[in-house]
Amino acid sequence: MRIIRYNQPATRGYARANYGSNRSPWAGFESEIDRLFTSAVGNVAGHTPTQFPVDLYEDKNNAFVRAELPGINRDDINVELVDGSLNINATRKTKTGDDEKVSRFSRSISVPDTVQSDKVQAAYENGVLTVTLPKREESKPRKINVAVS
Amino acid sequence: MSLQNTLNSCACRSETAKGAASKTEGAIKKPTYAITESTEGFALTVNLPGVAKDGLEVTSDAGEIRVVGRRNWKRPEGWTTLHRESVDATYELVLTHDNALNNEKISAQLRDGVLNVTLPKAEATKPRKISVG
Repeated sequence: MRIIRYNQPATRGYARANYGSNRSPWAGFESEIDRLFTSAVGNVAGHTPTQFPVDLYEDKNNAFVRAELPGINRDDINVELVDGSLNINATRKTKTGDDEKVSRFSRSISVPDTVQSDKVQAAYENGVLTVTLPKREESKPRKINVAVS
Repeated sequence: MSLQNTLNSCACRSETAKGAASKTEGAIKKPTYAITESTEGFALTVNLPGVAKDGLEVTSDAGEIRVVGRRNWKRPEGWTTLHRESVDATYELVLTHDNALNNEKISAQLRDGVLNVTLPKAEATKPRKISVG
């Protein structure tokens, strides 16, 4: 069972909503929906992983994903390629005195299926994760010399 | 001693930014940071992803702590940008304090894009136990 905290709606009285000249007749209903969302989303906010900025680049042979993930142990970074999407999950553990604060980061990036999934590499330097996704031979731009006779 | 009075993110940033503009060219971004206080001093944590040791400057003078971080990574030739979310701006954080810090003993450590600065309090401002005779 999930217990959802009840917050008193900011605006009370639905009947009054109709009388205000500028207010839509739905104002009361809208605020009620907003409240429902904030209470439902607010409840799980502590467990929702944070997103982080990601840059995408490519060159002739590879695609590159660079993600800003400062202060994470290499062991706590998990990169996987599943069904054409690159999933980056990371956990940051910060110790202050006796208590340890754990923050989770997660991001999923869809990558084209022209990537050689078995040759994906990742490196972590200065708090930036770089994932190199080599392109398949057949998807690389090819220069074909045609002999003109 | 309240944290707000001791270490303030410079509210008068527009004024200091003018002075800083000569030191840091281009766009400036304020990094995310956190400050915790103990009886011994303050611990400042600044997130500086992409900044290496040689691109980092930490200066402390006249009641001001300034952290400037430049990214050393440049897009290699031949790389085409497909999508950008990060910014290339130089990080700059200016914190003012009321000189209650032991300037001599400030130490800093940069690891994996996170800067940890230890700011010990001056002896005079530490809590002192007074024995009653």
